[in-house]
Amino acid sequence: MTHGQAAKRLAGILARGALVGAALFSAAAPGFSAQDRGQDTICMSLEPPVLDPTLGAAQAIREVTYGNVFEGLVAIDRAGKIVPKLATSWTVSPDGLVYTFTLRPGAAFHDGAPFTAADVKFTLERALAADSKNAQKWIFQPIAAIETPDAATVKITLKQVAANFLYGLAWGDAVIFSQRSAATNATNPVGTGPYKFDRWTRGDRLSLVASQAWWGGKVAIPRATFRFVNDAQAQVAGIRSGDCDALSNLAAPEAVPDLQADKDLSVVIGKTEGETIVAMNNGKKPFDDVRVRRAISHAIDRNQVNLGAINGAGTPIGSHFSPTQPAYIDLTGRYLYDPAKARALLAEAGYPNGFEAVMKVPPPAYARRSSEIVAAMLAQVGVRVTLEPIEFPQWLDRVFKNRDYDLTIIAHTEPLDIGIYARPDYYFGYKSPAFVDLMAKVDAASDEATRNRLYGDAQRLLADDAVNVFLFVLPKITVTRVGLDGMWPDWPLPANPLAELSWK
Amino acid sequence: MTFIARRLIAALVTLLAAAVIIFVMLELLPGDPAAVVLGVNATPETLAALRSDFGLDRPILERFFRWLVGFATGDLGTSYTYRIPVAALIAERFAVTLPLAFLSILLAAAIGLPLGLFAAARANSASDTAVMVFAEIGLAVPSFWFAILLVLLFSVTLGWLPSGGFPGWDRGIVPGLKALILPAISLALPQAAVLARIMRGAALEAMAEPWMRTARAKGLSLPETMRRHVFRNALIPVLTILGLQVSFLIAGAIVIENVFSLPGLGRLVFQAIGQHDIIVVKDLVMVFSAMVILVNFLVDVLYGLVDPRLARGRA
Amino acid sequence: MRRGTRWSFRLGVLCAGIVVFGAVVSLVWTPYDPTTIAIVDRLQGPSARHWLGTDQFGRDVLSMLMRGGVNSLGVGLAAVLAGLLVGLALGILAAATAGSILDGLVMRSADLVFAFPVVLSAVMITAIAGAGAGNAVIAIAVFNVPVFARLSRAAALQVWSREFVMAARAMGLGSMRITLRHVLPNIAGLLIVQSTIQFALAILAEAGLSYLGLGVRPPDPSWGRMLNEAQTFLSRQPLNAIFPGLAIALAVLGFNLIGDGLRDRLDPRFQGAANRQARSVIR
Repeated sequence: MTHGQAAKRLAGILARGALVGAALFSAAAPGFSAQDRGQDTICMSLEPPVLDPTLGAAQAIREVTYGNVFEGLVAIDRAGKIVPKLATSWTVSPDGLVYTFTLRPGAAFHDGAPFTAADVKFTLERALAADSKNAQKWIFQPIAAIETPDAATVKITLKQVAANFLYGLAWGDAVIFSQRSAATNATNPVGTGPYKFDRWTRGDRLSLVASQAWWGGKVAIPRATFRFVNDAQAQVAGIRSGDCDALSNLAAPEAVPDLQADKDLSVVIGKTEGETIVAMNNGKKPFDDVRVRRAISHAIDRNQVNLGAINGAGTPIGSHFSPTQPAYIDLTGRYLYDPAKARALLAEAGYPNGFEAVMKVPPPAYARRSSEIVAAMLAQVGVRVTLEPIEFPQWLDRVFKNRDYDLTIIAHTEPLDIGIYARPDYYFGYKSPAFVDLMAKVDAASDEATRNRLYGDAQRLLADDAVNVFLFVLPKITVTRVGLDGMWPDWPLPANPLAELSWK
Repeated sequence: MTFIARRLIAALVTLLAAAVIIFVMLELLPGDPAAVVLGVNATPETLAALRSDFGLDRPILERFFRWLVGFATGDLGTSYTYRIPVAALIAERFAVTLPLAFLSILLAAAIGLPLGLFAAARANSASDTAVMVFAEIGLAVPSFWFAILLVLLFSVTLGWLPSGGFPGWDRGIVPGLKALILPAISLALPQAAVLARIMRGAALEAMAEPWMRTARAKGLSLPETMRRHVFRNALIPVLTILGLQVSFLIAGAIVIENVFSLPGLGRLVFQAIGQHDIIVVKDLVMVFSAMVILVNFLVDVLYGLVDPRLARGRA
Repeated sequence: MRRGTRWSFRLGVLCAGIVVFGAVVSLVWTPYDPTTIAIVDRLQGPSARHWLGTDQFGRDVLSMLMRGGVNSLGVGLAAVLAGLLVGLALGILAAATAGSILDGLVMRSADLVFAFPVVLSAVMITAIAGAGAGNAVIAIAVFNVPVFARLSRAAALQVWSREFVMAARAMGLGSMRITLRHVLPNIAGLLIVQSTIQFALAILAEAGLSYLGLGVRPPDPSWGRMLNEAQTFLSRQPLNAIFPGLAIALAVLGFNLIGDGLRDRLDPRFQGAANRQARSVIR
């Protein structure tokens, strides 16, 4: 039979082909050695679904593009401050309604088109349009009119005073596009930033190269790669072997002690804007009773949750505010862990034997792990919690949209989002005219000191009302190879600006 | 050939019924793809605009027929999450799942067939028992647990192979194979156990045939008889099972890809469910089902062609 | 019966016995409450206090394994029983009306169910109805129905073709009577064998589903979820990834061996059918 011989010959051909192929491909692939000063590889957990931050809310889009490919009129720096970017300066009229931006001369898009006031007008109008798909349309909604008196000036008039307008313009959702490339930015992003898009191998990595035309001059590292490593073990292996020069946010907090012991690596545990809360349905019995909510707050030891869920890497919070914000006040002492007091409060509210409740738990590991610890703690005071794991789309539908829940655990990752407690139909079911009033005053506040004082009052009010149980803000665990400087230690918003990196 | 035509019609009807079930099930799944893309701050108008972009504001029947016609003509639609054609997305992921399935079949055959043949040649001996014990264990060990044990040994302890992830084929064949070898071994173990059992059974049957005694009488040694006659005769039932296993292998790959974070079809379907990328889920489940139906159809036809009378005549 | 078979049957009873014993005992007693959390004691190795160590929340692994057995065996048993009842009803109905439209419909539906990868359908069922023991049972039972339907149809057809049944028929006995008096008693043994093998497969399937987070709800322990969680802590406490897997393998091995042993005692006329079925549903 010639069958066997044919198979053997085929196998031989295939084997030779494979060898030649391997040689070819490994020669063609760029070297990924760690200590090459001309480049760096940042490893992150999730891959962006698209590269256009105006097409979706996914954090990974911002982590790759913000400050690298795309820039806004203004930006948030690593300390959380608003700084000039494509606008060199701006003035606000005394009534707080007219913002006049002076644009940066010499800025240009990667396709060569100069950056002008027309691009700003185009971008803002696109975000405002009826068919806009911008995930943060609230940023733009206060806009009444956009004027471009000359190519280097943009004058924006608002309908009413909006204290966070400028802050919103610094978000990834407000980066400036060119009309020429706006439609194709999803897969071929063209911006004004220090790096231009090079290549995207889906499922693995994305590379950027320094733009020669950047207004900010020459960057220290001409070539950068983002690798998408979902597996926590693989992240640890990657940073150890040198496949990764930095991990923007380690997915396995439990590996921190091991990595800290490695003298080639530096580990920084920073903060994010991700306030992690046990949300309670304030519109539903028994959680409509503030005594019940306070009892639950007393029954949960947030330090133990922090330790058990994320190895203690989170920063405890006592209200819905991130410690990265200047207006933050520490309210973690408001409800100390005290099961006896919790039981007393429950009895006072008419539940001496506790009650049953269902907690709907979305997929992230921090939520799943926290939920088991919280359920065990609540059981100690007689609140018998059934855990119901659900996928994120169903969480959005059932919990967020239809408010069909008792308890849930979620991290609110949007920066400075305390205003959600003033929304009438928000899923917390929290109705407080006093809080709505406070938020209106924040919006109308003209100076920062007043605004921060009001934010403090708002934090106190939420803690007093025990709207939710405030656990901690999610950590940003940055791991870098010694020698690479400039990674952001905290995430006032999710970003990895590569132009700030350099090899020592 | 009316037999083949009848089987073909039956297969197509099954496929159509599968399409209806898949569509209805996913319609029942609560959730809004637009809300998943736009997050918690989106305004109602924005959500409506995106839903309209996705074509979700059309009547349900129109959507069903558009999908069905699209599937039949090779247009699988555009992913809600990735905004690229689903066909391209699936093709990309096939480049991981197909080599993985192929590699594990190869491994399973390379381990299972010789073991089965060996056990048959020494039926009821200690080596036979050893092979059968291996087969029983192979069937009892969950592949994902075996996978974790392999990671523990080769990644965590020895550091030889990656514990997960896939570097992409354009980084070279070797790194790609290194990422696939542990998943392929975990997938191959239960398959090898099945193949060893079946090979042993088929070989024992073949050895009981009268021509076997003739071959031995002509002076052929046992190993030679095994190779030249028994193996070839036992191959037909084994190949049938191997064909059937392909579909189970693809199902097994779904779990294993998630254990190793491999960007294959199985992981894609989980990610798509997690992002409510319903169009991708529909297409993928349909592709999986179509593969199983196709394999079943081919096996049916094969059985029809190898008529029992023909088979007897040849022996 | 071969000597080897009797030996392996006993081994099977031993393996399955250990797991069943642990599960039954856990209903009245476990060393610790399997849901009590003590973060300070987390990820300990085996000791006098915790024989098999503790998990990432300081829960006692042995207690979790015992209680997890109740869940695994319970879900598996419920799924197989449901699949057996529905499948048997459909199968003997199809056999009694062999060649009819009903028969064809039952068999084509069985093909249809086999066309869906088990894991995918389970994922969709639990995504729609929510994760939980009940839905895991449904997801696994759906795939047992066609197995039992095909098997009982094939076996019942065989019984129908035997002489004494033909005689009974000629005497004017109705289909219902023949089914109850002759068909069922004759195929019962085969069904018991197949149920044992399906039970082993169902335990495997339950483990897979709960590994993917689709099985019983936390904090109720399950072997599959214990493995999933242990995977994250592999470098800190590898033993936690060993014990739950051993429990699964022990249970599956035990019931597989029992099934094999029972099959060898079966009416030889049915052994072919039993073998074929067992092969075609493996994973």
